[in-house]
Formats: sequence, structure tokens, C-alpha cells
Amino acid sequence: MKRIFTFFVLLLIVMGALLTACGSSETPAEPAAPAADTAPAASDSTAAEEPAAAEPAAPEETTLMIGFTTSQTGKQNVSSTRQVNGLMLWMDQVNEAGGLELSDGTRVKFDYVTYDDESNTDRVQELYTRLATEDGADFLISPYSSGLTAAAAVIAEQYGKVMITTGAASDSAYQQGYTQVYQAYTPASRYLTGAVDLLTTLDPSVKRVAFVYENSKFSTSVVEAAKVYAEEQGYEVVLFEGYDPETTDFGPFINKIEAAAPDAILGGGHFQDGSTFARQIDEKNIDVNFFTLLVAPPEPDFADLGQAAVGVVGPSQWEPLAAFTPDSATEAGLDWYGISGDEFVTTYEGAYAGEEPSYHSAGGYAAGMILAKAIENADSVEPEAVRDALEDMDILTFYGHVKFDTSAENHGLQIGHSMVYIQWQEDASGNLAKQVLWPLEGATADSLYPKP
Amino acid sequence: MNGLRKYSGLILAIVVVLALVAWPTINGKDITREVVFTMILSVALASSLNILLGYTGYVSFGHVVFFGLGGYVGFYLMAVQNWSLWPAMLAGGVASGTLAFFLGKAILRLRGGYFALATIGVNEAVRAFINNYKPFGGPVGLSLNFSVYQNYGGGAREALWLSFYMLAALTILVIIVSYAVRTSKFGLGLLAIREDEDAAEIMGVRAPNAKTWAYVLSAIFPGILGVLFFFKNGNIEPAPAFRLQLSIEMIVMVMLGGQGTVLGPILGGAGYQRFRGFLLTNPLFKNIQLAVAGFLLLIIVLFIPAGIIGWVRNRFPKLRRVLQ
Repeated sequence: MKRIFTFFVLLLIVMGALLTACGSSETPAEPAAPAADTAPAASDSTAAEEPAAAEPAAPEETTLMIGFTTSQTGKQNVSSTRQVNGLMLWMDQVNEAGGLELSDGTRVKFDYVTYDDESNTDRVQELYTRLATEDGADFLISPYSSGLTAAAAVIAEQYGKVMITTGAASDSAYQQGYTQVYQAYTPASRYLTGAVDLLTTLDPSVKRVAFVYENSKFSTSVVEAAKVYAEEQGYEVVLFEGYDPETTDFGPFINKIEAAAPDAILGGGHFQDGSTFARQIDEKNIDVNFFTLLVAPPEPDFADLGQAAVGVVGPSQWEPLAAFTPDSATEAGLDWYGISGDEFVTTYEGAYAGEEPSYHSAGGYAAGMILAKAIENADSVEPEAVRDALEDMDILTFYGHVKFDTSAENHGLQIGHSMVYIQWQEDASGNLAKQVLWPLEGATADSLYPKP
Repeated sequence: MNGLRKYSGLILAIVVVLALVAWPTINGKDITREVVFTMILSVALASSLNILLGYTGYVSFGHVVFFGLGGYVGFYLMAVQNWSLWPAMLAGGVASGTLAFFLGKAILRLRGGYFALATIGVNEAVRAFINNYKPFGGPVGLSLNFSVYQNYGGGAREALWLSFYMLAALTILVIIVSYAVRTSKFGLGLLAIREDEDAAEIMGVRAPNAKTWAYVLSAIFPGILGVLFFFKNGNIEPAPAFRLQLSIEMIVMVMLGGQGTVLGPILGGAGYQRFRGFLLTNPLFKNIQLAVAGFLLLIIVLFIPAGIIGWVRNRFPKLRRVLQ
């Protein structure tokens, strides 16, 4: 009996180890491919460019090391990989163009070191310490997700390394007294407030809203802030209910929604639960005018829901359709920086075998751009000067407006960037497509309101 | 001299840990400190689990619950009630020990696979509770303000070194407790339970009591360690605090080194983490680190199921006195 049990335990352990091992052996191939493609290209371009530039006076070249961890394994793998793909694309483009040029003629190129953080916090601090001390990283980029970033921020702060965070929306990491951490994402506290504004614009007579959301760090911080905002705007919150991340049957919640009879539902969490929720709302024929979910709707796969996707609104950090251009920068009185949205989409699809960039990819690219712009503005690679440039940054890029809070309480919090709200609509031939509804300046279609 | 020989097993175990601690102290490098921190944290966790798993023969699949709960209680006291690290650590240990005591009374009546399943259930239940418990931040968790670290020696760097030495002291304490249990009458009772619980009861071992105290002892230290780990980490959330994978890794470490020995979990914990750390950061292996680790674990489990120390003890009986 004892032997059988020991054998059973050993078998379980081995199977567990093998399962995780299988997961890891498949994933790294994806980011490795483009890196291998671009590495020789980068060196070719330096070789091609140097003779031309060398004629007047050999320009000095310096290479900055960027350190970050990637979730090559674990549950954050997909989003983290996209984020790193975006960052790599930025780095390759800068290096291929011969690097950034400072006023003294120095050319600044970039290189990177990365390790697998396995999507868990156990080793994040060890890896970031390694990046900061052993690998000589000059600047850091955050891991994907707020939890991992919070652990990494302690290390960035301790070694005085500037860290641009992306994929980390939670506000709390910027309220802990850090001075070296700068956020590229719109913080969680403003994730859904735009949806409330949109609703007010669409139908001022609506007063009853329901929040049904996933019980996770990110979604809870988002809806708690949105609830406060909605109440300030005079809405009555008739239901405020969290569900477990593993929920597959939304029946009990839908019953509560029916009982509360709201005009609008806001909430959701991540892709799986969000799409299931949307499908079941459709199946039960819930009569609701306005339906917003986090994270799931901006994903291209959301269209697989078919009719259930029609009319669903979702916040996104960035959308290919969102048209931020040099002209809109001039209108807003901001500096324009970097490539256009179209160019980002085309080059990204070219580099990653036709994969459509998600907002995680754009966030990764934006983190690189923010750093590059800060170095250009500082006209120096000294961390102190770059940090000062970040404090003063106020630019518009294809990713949107970037500006950081410089107060002691919320240092580094993103205050310029705001969410784009999309809605799935049917075009004339009955195909589903995402349309941008908000902000109104960037809208590509009229809202489908009330939701069919 | 006689005393030295008598305690040679304990001395060897402590020397191994001291050697690990001396490494970053001598070279003064922060990265070595971080590497060794991960290693000796595993040593302490594995040694704690060993009291239950190795000596008593009960497999606790959800042992991480004590690490998480202790961490949460201590973190709450530090972040919300502004307690200092020291009483918070104590409170974390007490909370975990108390939970283990009541749980032990209830679920240690189960044997074998049923007990293992129950421990997983407990971990999930506590995680779900914390996820919905507002004072602990619910799903959002809690964060420590960076300025808190200034109370521990001047800055974050000092606080991290302090956490490291604190962990080293705790690890040595765990080892002393583990050794004391193994060589005591209480420990003999546990070993008897491991071999045959019914026979042990007939021989006069009060099995339910002994098992409960073994469970409590093996839970207190993970609770204290949880507070220290999340203090250093700066924030705490339900998912990383109650990560079932850590439980499984703890079992692997104990089995790798040799369950039921004092030195085994030390070698297992340090070796496993060093090896994983090496694979993670090695340019050749970093993309396939889990595959390599999984394969090696398979080899070890198939060919030396008694663990490294168990294998050496069987092979060289003369070393048994030293390799406790």
C-alpha cells in the first residue's frame, strides 16, 4: 500500500514536471525566429552605414543594454511574448537605422538581456538584480503584469535604474514612493471611466448600471475605480458582483442581472471568462443597452462568438484603427514622435509571420520609444539626465499621448495616455469588424446603441 | 570530542548553510546574495516540510498554504497596522501554527492519498477566502511603501541584506529543530508512525497527538518565512502567495535530497534552486530550462528514489553517523 502510494506521488510529480517542460519547449521558438532574422540584418546595416558616416569623422558609437524578463512559460506567456515582440521590433528598427544620434555625433544603439520569469514572482527580484548588477543593464523594462512589475520595481528603485513599465496597469505600484519607475499603460483607475463617459454621451437618460467582474487584482482595481466614477456622474450602481476567475457558468450572475434590471453592464476580466460571459448574456437574451467587457473584446479572436459579439464594447490601450498622426499632434499642441500606426502594423506583421499586433505588442514598442525619446531629449545616456527628460516628457505617438505624473504620491503614473473603446459591429456584408467609438475624435463609426 | 562526534550530523548541516551564507558575505555581490537567498529559502521550506513528509511520512501537497497565510498576516500587520518586521514575522508564524493545529486535529485522521488531497483543498479554500477578504486587499493584494525599508538600516540595500541574514538565522534554526526532532523520542515516534501507524499506536505512540505537533512544527517556519519573503518582495497577492507549484517543488526538493534526513532537504533545496537558477540564466539552456530540469528529475526519481543522502547512506554505511 505504502509503495503504491509513493509510486503514485512520484508519478504525479514527474507528470507535473513533464507537462510544464513541454509547455516551455514549444514557446520560445516564436520570439527566437524574428530575433535570428534581424540580428544579421542589424549588423549588415551597421557595416553598410559606417563607411558613409565615417568620412567626416568616425562617430562614436555606444551600446546601451536593456534588461527585462519575459514570461516564456506560465500563464502570462502569450501577452508577454507579444509585448517583447513589440519591444524587439523597436530595437531592431533603431539599430538598423544606425541608432539614435546625439548632438555630439555619438550614435546610441541598443542591445538586450532577458531571462524567463516563468510568470511568477519567486525569481523576479533575483533576475532583475542580475540584470542590474551582473549584466550591466543601463535601463530596465518591466515584466508583463502588475504583480511581477511590483516585485521588479523594488529592485529598479534600489539600484537607481530607470524602468519603463508596460503591461502593468495597476495603480498601486506607482503609489509606493518609487522614483525610477514610469508607466506606459493607462492605469487601471482610468480603464473603464471612458466607457462611463461614452455611455453618458450616448444616452443621458440611462441611470442604472451593473458591475459584474472577475475577482482578480487587475479587474477589481479597474471596476472599483469605475464604480466611484460612475457614482460621481450620478449613476445608480444596482449590482456590484465579482466572480471567480475559473467561472464557466454565469447563470447565477445573469439571474442577478435580470433581477436588478440594469440599463448597462460593465465588467469582465480576461479573455476566457469575458467571452463566455458575453456568449451566455446573448444566449439568455438579456435586454441591456450597453455592454462593456475588459480585455476580451479587443482581441481579434473575440469575433469567433459571432452574433454574441455584436455591440459589445471593450477598452483597449491601442487599436490599429486609432488614428494618431503628426497632424493630430499639431492640433493638440504636442510633439509627434516615432513611426505611424500603419507602419507599426505593417512592419510588425512582416517581422512576425503575419501575426496581427495586439495592444500588448504596441505597449512593448511604446516602452522602447519612450526610452529613446527620453535619451534624445536628454541628449545624453546618463541615467539622471534621462530621468529628467522622462519627467518633462509630453509627446504624441502612434500609441497615443504619453505624460507622467511627477508628484510624490503618484510618481511615474501615466496621465497622458487614455483608452480607446472599440465595438464589434457588422458591416454591410454581415462580417464582424471592430470599430473605434471613443474618444470621439478618433471614432471610425457611429455607436450601435442600444446593443442589439 | 565525544560531543563533537555525537552532534556531527547537525554540525555538518549547519556548516553547509554557513558556507552558503558566507559566499555573498565574502564577495559582497548583490547578485550572489539574491541567488543564495532563493537557495536557503528553499532549504528552510524543504526542511520544514521534511518534519512532516520525511519523518512522519505524510505528504502535504498544500504546504504552501502556511507560507501564504503567514505571509499575509505579517504583511497586513506591516503594511496596514505599521508593525515592525520582527513582531510581524512572529505573528505570521503563530497564525500558520494555529491553522496547522486545528487542521491537524481535523484532517490528520486521513491517511495516504486522502490526506494529500485534503491539503490541496485547504490551500484552495484559504486562497479563495483571502481573495474575498477585503482587509487583506481581496484580489488586489497589499503593497509596502518603499520608504518602509528605510527603517531597517538606512535604505533598501541594507534592508535586503538584513532580510538575507535574517533568513540565514531562521534557516539554521529550522535545521536545529529538524535535527532535534529527528534525534528525540518524539521523532522516534514519528518515524514509527511513518513505518506503520497501527503498529506504532500499539507500541504506545500517541499517533494523533504526535502527528498534529509534527504538522504544527512544520507549519510555523513557512509562516515566518512567508512574512520575510513578501517583505522583501514589496507586495503580496493571493495567486503568488498560494501557488500550488511551490508546494510541489518543496516535495521535489525533499525527495531529491533524501526524505527523512536532516541533510537531505538542505542539499535538495539548495541543489534544486541552484540548478534551476543556472538553467534559467545560462545562454544555452535558458529557453529549454524546464525541459532539462524535468528530464533530470525523472532520472533521479527513477534511479535514486531515496534521494541523494539516502543513496549515499545505503552505499556507505560508515557515513551514516555523519549524514543524518
